[in-house]
Amino acid sequence: MDKKSAVIIGAGPAGLAAGYEFIKQGIGPLVLERSGTVGGISRTESYKGFHFDIGGHRFFSKNDDINRIWQEMLGSDFLQVSRLSRIYYQNKFFNYPLRPANALFNLGPVESLLILLSYCRARFAPQPEESSFEQWIINRFGERLYRTFFKTYTEKVWGISCKEIKADWAAQRIKGLSLLVAVSNALFGGGQQAKSLVEQFNYPKYGPGMMWQRFKDHINAGGGKVMLNCEVSSVRHDNGRISKIVYFNGKEVQEVSAENFISSMPISSLIKLLKPQPPAEVLQSAEQLAYRAFIIVVLIVDKAVLFPDQWLYVHSPKVQVGRIQNFKNWSRFMVPDQSRTSIGMEYFCNENDPTWNMPDHELIEFAQREMAEMGFGPASQVIDSYVVRQSYAYPVYDSTYEKNLQNIRNYLYSFKNLQTIGRSGMHRYNNMDHSMQTGILAAKNCCGERHDLWTVNEEKSYLEEDRTVREIPTVPEKVLIKAFARMDKFAFATAFGAICGLLVFSATMWIISRGGDVLNSHLRLLAQYFIGYTVTVKGAFIAFGYSFFWGFLFGWLFAYLRNLFLAIYIYRIKRKAELLSLKDFFDNF
Amino acid sequence: MVKTEMKDSRLGPEEKLFSGVLLLNAKVVGLALGVIFGLGIFVATNWLVIKGGSRVGPHLILLSQYFIGYKVTFLGSLIGAAYGFALGTICGALMGWIYNRLATFRQ
Ligand SMILES: Cc1cc2nc3c(=O)[nH]c(=O)nc-3n(C[C@H](O)[C@H](O)[C@H](O)COP(=O)(O)OP(=O)(O)OC[C@H]3O[C@@H](n4cnc5c(N)ncnc54)[C@H](O)[C@@H]3O)c2cc1C
Repeated sequence: MDKKSAVIIGAGPAGLAAGYEFIKQGIGPLVLERSGTVGGISRTESYKGFHFDIGGHRFFSKNDDINRIWQEMLGSDFLQVSRLSRIYYQNKFFNYPLRPANALFNLGPVESLLILLSYCRARFAPQPEESSFEQWIINRFGERLYRTFFKTYTEKVWGISCKEIKADWAAQRIKGLSLLVAVSNALFGGGQQAKSLVEQFNYPKYGPGMMWQRFKDHINAGGGKVMLNCEVSSVRHDNGRISKIVYFNGKEVQEVSAENFISSMPISSLIKLLKPQPPAEVLQSAEQLAYRAFIIVVLIVDKAVLFPDQWLYVHSPKVQVGRIQNFKNWSRFMVPDQSRTSIGMEYFCNENDPTWNMPDHELIEFAQREMAEMGFGPASQVIDSYVVRQSYAYPVYDSTYEKNLQNIRNYLYSFKNLQTIGRSGMHRYNNMDHSMQTGILAAKNCCGERHDLWTVNEEKSYLEEDRTVREIPTVPEKVLIKAFARMDKFAFATAFGAICGLLVFSATMWIISRGGDVLNSHLRLLAQYFIGYTVTVKGAFIAFGYSFFWGFLFGWLFAYLRNLFLAIYIYRIKRKAELLSLKDFFDNF
Repeated sequence: MVKTEMKDSRLGPEEKLFSGVLLLNAKVVGLALGVIFGLGIFVATNWLVIKGGSRVGPHLILLSQYFIGYKVTFLGSLIGAAYGFALGTICGALMGWIYNRLATFRQ
């Protein structure tokens, strides 16, 4: 049996990033990968020279260190792509996020008006209860917009009715930025980065697999070892420590022991591989963690241009396809022949459901039919095709997942030398950068540092220690609260009224005290507004009353308008941030 | 320019943003208003001086009833500006003081 200082299960972004960090620390880890390629869900598959992702993978991160590592790995092979992705609905392209003029033009004036009315209704008379995703969206966008642009797509992705998706889950994911952060970003520009990231992203010349291949080479060159086609089949433990893991390398069963183990395989599968077995309730929790699967049917079309977008969201309920990737629009190097186009028809499903179990040729026919139905050309133009099934694509956040995950975590804490990382490894809706961060931090933990991996990609606590954090306000909270403090209307009105009153009162008294033809002083003209006013002591009091009254009114109005405009400003910022994070929310499916 | 009064440190971030009540810095409000008044009189006087004519500033001269020594001339504009500044400063500071007292009391 081999003895290593670190063994990593899985050569996806998380596992490879952990390997990269070990090399940096002078340790050569062993990385065991079940499949024949590196990259996990972010791998690139190839078929007859056509390259494609398992769903398009944009490289973007708010973390400077991750960006630096990516650049270091790929250099000039890391392309910058301007994003174009629209919604395909009723055979028309809608800008994403929706732009009023474009939506009006595509939907026609009648439908647009109805949408506007339903939006107004939702804003002014929202549903009192907001327990489902459906209610949450309707309250913010109106019923008609919800039915047109949210319902079908969300249900395609999750395979359940929007009524069954919990609102707090949507709120948690969509809110994204807190109001304080949004306001701070709007004022001081901290959000600029987030904005530009949405419009531009990086992409490796030959697809994401190219990145992970470089990671693999780097680890191998640095004294580590990435072994493909090695499936971990058992994880043995003893006395609160993982003692060894057993894997099958395609030919024989092997064992390896190590000081540290890091796992990026699905956490539920890991639990099932532990020997001795965990307690029944932990096994049950693992059983109950659900994942959504994903099928991509690649159609190679004998046509140079189908549409200019990198991908399309398909909102039409008439077809089952959820998204269509156009790989040559990500990078022209993804196709070997520019006169052809390879599109990826993406179907969201559950492992072993009828779609998943459909034979490849049926899936291909089905996809071709849908392509034709959407108006992208007849099936006869498809010259070749390929199918990839991806299990464990999306960790499902259902009503029980938090409890189940907590049970599992509590149990796994008992192992001193085991850490779980990555998307499925932590049952987290992680992007590649989050996954990598957990891997890097896990490796650092093995070298004596102490990081809580579970705070990565947690709302607002995106690696707090990291100087690149953007989820915290760019200016201190206190300053923001000061800047947006309400004006006390009554106090301001009274103060302003008092000053106005005092001014006129003093002016009158001053003229009287100077003597002369007091009654004919120009000040008497005030009587045109202040009925009953004369340049006398009595008149001075009358003037005080009038001036105070008008001053009070103007002061109150000023304070009211000042507060109102401030509130409108804040509301707009909040809506904008909400929309931006809503866009992010859908991007991550 | 402003100080704020905060209610509760246990509030969530959204509520926090609206938790402050604006308190004015009386001295700064006074100075600001003083500068506005002073500058206003300076500009208004010199505007009439530059325009010229047979009778320069028949109405503005009424200010001299309050601002002794004020005339609608360049020198008068400086004197008026000084008076305006003093008056504005007193009014602004007083207004700020009254506002703060009331706002704090109402908290
Ligand atoms: C459709 C889709 C689109 C996405 N788009 C983006 C995007 O645009 N940008 C972005 O940043 N992220 C995107 N993501 C997320 C991204 O794919 C993941 O965050 C990332 O791949 C997670 O990496 P990981 O290493 O944590 O897990 P994985 O990629 O799942 O890697 C885990 C690895 O463990 C291996 N493994 C499992 N079991 C065993 C075993 N028993 N023995 C050995 N090895 C095992 C697997 O084969 C796999 O290689 C997308 C995801 C999907 C599904």
